[in-house]
Amino acid sequence: MRWRVVQMVARTAFLEFWRSPAAVFWTYGFPLMMAVVLGFAFQPSPPKPVPIAVVEAPGANAVFQSLQSSKRLAVEMLSPELADEALARGRIALLIKVDVDGPVLRSDPTRPEAELAHLLVHRALRDARQGEVAMARIEVEDRPGSRYIDFLIPGLIGLNLLGAGMWGVGFNLVQMRVQNLLRRIFVTPMRRSEFLAGYLLGRSVLVIPEAVAILLFGVLMWGVPFRGSYMAAMLVIVIGGWTFTGIGVLCASRARTIETIGGLMNAVQLPMWILGGSFFANEALEGPVRWVAECLPLTHVNRALRDVMLEPGTLADIWMPLSFLAAGGVLCFAAAMRLFRWQ
Amino acid sequence: MSSSAIDGVPAIELRALRKTYKLRRTETVAVDGLDLVVNRGEVFGLLGPNGAGKTTTVEICEGLTIPDSGTVSILGRQWGQGEDHAIRARIGVCLQETKFHENANVREVLSLFRSCFDQGRSVDEALALVSLEEKQDARQKSLSGGQRQRLAVATALLGDPELLFLDEPTTGLDPQSRRQLWSVVRDYQAAGGTVLLTTHYMEEAQQLCDRVAIVDRGKIIALDSPADLIKSLAAEHFILIDGEQSPSDEDLLAVPEVVAVERQTERIVLTVESVRGALPLLLQIFSARGIEIDGLSTRHATLEDVFVDLTGQSLRDGEDQ
Repeated sequence: MRWRVVQMVARTAFLEFWRSPAAVFWTYGFPLMMAVVLGFAFQPSPPKPVPIAVVEAPGANAVFQSLQSSKRLAVEMLSPELADEALARGRIALLIKVDVDGPVLRSDPTRPEAELAHLLVHRALRDARQGEVAMARIEVEDRPGSRYIDFLIPGLIGLNLLGAGMWGVGFNLVQMRVQNLLRRIFVTPMRRSEFLAGYLLGRSVLVIPEAVAILLFGVLMWGVPFRGSYMAAMLVIVIGGWTFTGIGVLCASRARTIETIGGLMNAVQLPMWILGGSFFANEALEGPVRWVAECLPLTHVNRALRDVMLEPGTLADIWMPLSFLAAGGVLCFAAAMRLFRWQ
Repeated sequence: MSSSAIDGVPAIELRALRKTYKLRRTETVAVDGLDLVVNRGEVFGLLGPNGAGKTTTVEICEGLTIPDSGTVSILGRQWGQGEDHAIRARIGVCLQETKFHENANVREVLSLFRSCFDQGRSVDEALALVSLEEKQDARQKSLSGGQRQRLAVATALLGDPELLFLDEPTTGLDPQSRRQLWSVVRDYQAAGGTVLLTTHYMEEAQQLCDRVAIVDRGKIIALDSPADLIKSLAAEHFILIDGEQSPSDEDLLAVPEVVAVERQTERIVLTVESVRGALPLLLQIFSARGIEIDGLSTRHATLEDVFVDLTGQSLRDGEDQ
């Protein structure tokens, strides 16, 4: 091995990177910005109370009272139906039924926050009885539709629509720009609207089979229930795919290098991965973070999918998230129409 | 060709065109006050080294680049006046380098480009024009450089354009592919089309162009038919004599027909007004001095010589800039 060759290759590789401002920004600048933003977001603060529910029943009130004394728990009293739904949708980590033999704690232990909820409830009950420790009985939530996997599968479909929609168009469009194909198309009588609409149509169709595959896998392999309307679910997938593809086109409307589009799409996707409600229910979030979560298209895709899968939802039940998504898609398309550069 | 091809206005009219690029605080003048008229039905060549401003000029004509100042009229219309779509429907463009979708076959690429023209040739006609019928199902990656370039020209011909732009259409092609493309251009012209092409191949310009403009540093420094440009040289012929020894410049220039002497390694290049007049006298000088001649050849002046004469620089030097 000749050191001078290694040296020259290293020098070239380094300079090639260093002289590309977009690459430098997305490699150094962007993570630094993220560190600052996340640092502010996760300032040391008292831990958030864990949401749990007590099911309405004779004698439940006493348990409810004793749990309310714990500052670490956010307790609410719910009817059996609403409590089940809240558990299924991840809004609460655990539910407590009270019968003649005392409280029964019900949760899916695969849920990230279930274990903590267990400990906090035990401690609260023990403190309330001042030493007289009544070990509550424990039930594992394993009914299809209420498990964590049932919550997760719709979230994964949402994430997949996001990823496939955005990555599928972003790189491809920038590639077309880099290799002068967009300039070539620009000098024909093709209109920008025709190009963008056709491109969006062709690419957004591609995300549908993958989403359907995950859905079938979840239903057949894990017994995830499908209680609502198939039509409505398809519509969520189609409109969701269209919206995310639209965001991808918008991101790629001006990017001139692969580094830029990669960084830009990561920047757009990261908040959705964290706050979009795929892995945990973002309805439990508070303040500005909740507000941000409500603005993310992924939140609405996930919500609509869970409405039609875990509950007997129909089109009428999901028109709100669907119109939000459709509006988002139209907005992205309109913005891309204005911003799009052929060269 | 549509009937509007016959109307009076020139195909291209450029007046006082200027374009500068700024890169890291240094300003480069790409086009420096250029005037040009390309008439209907002619094949017009922009000739010059790389960086001379040929591509910028063509891209301004194509509506891809906006000039800093000056006026551009394409088939009697101006860019940016709400007529862009109408202009694009009547021109065909072959950029310096375009890669089409890697996984699309020839027919699919042509169908895509055909779709955006309301009128024009069929895909089959375009395939036939560039002799790519047998390759219509081949994907991009299996096409040779020449085939790719012919496909690029075919996409430009789909709208049955009145005006065709070809930016260095044969750069990097082998001689056979080059000749195939030339015949496509000739056929197009024979059917009434107008062509603006750029090239740094002298032979190409001489073969194809009715008129050429020699561009250097953003300006046109000469404009005429290739034959007339060559005639404008003080002398149109060269005698090349190889040998280890040679007579002195004084002796050589004493021959009345000899205009200039250039010495290369074991070779002298004499610029002469006529080979027939100069050669016998030169041979006499060589034999009188007892100098042996290893090789002798003559050639007619080319556009390359015109360029060297005008700029003192060879076109090939320009390629390295």
